[in-house]
Amino acid sequence: MKNWKKIIFALFITGIVTAGAVVLYVYLKPHRDVTQEKGVQLSAQKLFDAFKANETEANTKYLDKAIELNGEVSDITTNQDGKTVVNFKTNDPLFVINCTFKTNPGELKPGQTIIFKGICTGYIPDANVVINEGVLIK
Amino acid sequence: MKLFFSFVVVLLLSTGIHAQKIFGTRNGKVSFSSPSDEDVKATNNEVASRIADNGQMTFSLLTKGFKFKLAEMQEHFNDQYIESTKFPRADFKGTIVNLKDVNFTKDGSYKVTVTGDLTLHGITKNITVNGTVDIKDGKPSAMGKFDIIMKDFNIDAAKVTQKVSAEINCQYQ
Repeated sequence: MKNWKKIIFALFITGIVTAGAVVLYVYLKPHRDVTQEKGVQLSAQKLFDAFKANETEANTKYLDKAIELNGEVSDITTNQDGKTVVNFKTNDPLFVINCTFKTNPGELKPGQTIIFKGICTGYIPDANVVINEGVLIK
Repeated sequence: MKLFFSFVVVLLLSTGIHAQKIFGTRNGKVSFSSPSDEDVKATNNEVASRIADNGQMTFSLLTKGFKFKLAEMQEHFNDQYIESTKFPRADFKGTIVNLKDVNFTKDGSYKVTVTGDLTLHGITKNITVNGTVDIKDGKPSAMGKFDIIMKDFNIDAAKVTQKVSAEINCQYQ
């Protein structure tokens, strides 16, 4: 085989391998796993206070961050796709921290104090702060 | 006598004021998909929504709460298209236009037309959605489907899709 043919062949193979790698990267890139991250530790009340006082500031601190939240369970429900949801109490009876588990946490009861770690997706005024893709720590 | 009097007062109060009934959920569901790219498909299960028997409806969701099958796609959606750090929330506030066709106290499936303002990516537009309100055991659920044209909300996603089809499904308590 002549040299220039070898070069073209090598370039061709490199191109295919690169394209394959890009496709694999896009399709196989894993989702964020909160268990591998160190969470910001704080109480449900403190998280609510921060968002209520200044949403923009709280967003820069907590939005998209791993949060390790401790607090009292207000109620336990299941979302429309069967995942367990725990609402944490705050001092405002109409406001909770809404936390969705990605794995089944087992049996939980209202009034129990637990620690939950998940990713904060933000604040909905007059309703709740949302944390999802979470797991039970304690 | 005093007891009787207060009883009458309570009775008057309770019949005199027709309390508006509000149903809510913190975990309603909104999903969207692109008709041109089957990988563009995501669901949000943390939609805060209220529906009142006077016809008012509100929906609020956090754009970072959309889950895609592909992590890479989810990242592009948040960083490049919806810019969810700058615009973390989307809101809809509207009313049922044909409220007279809906009986909140009687089980059944009612066709509704809802019109109101959708705020997405920092832009507010009036939209009209056709859907249904189902009443089962006195509790409503709402379903609706509508298209969102990307450029209407100044979302630069031409490379991926011109529009997405959004689907709402909220079960209220």
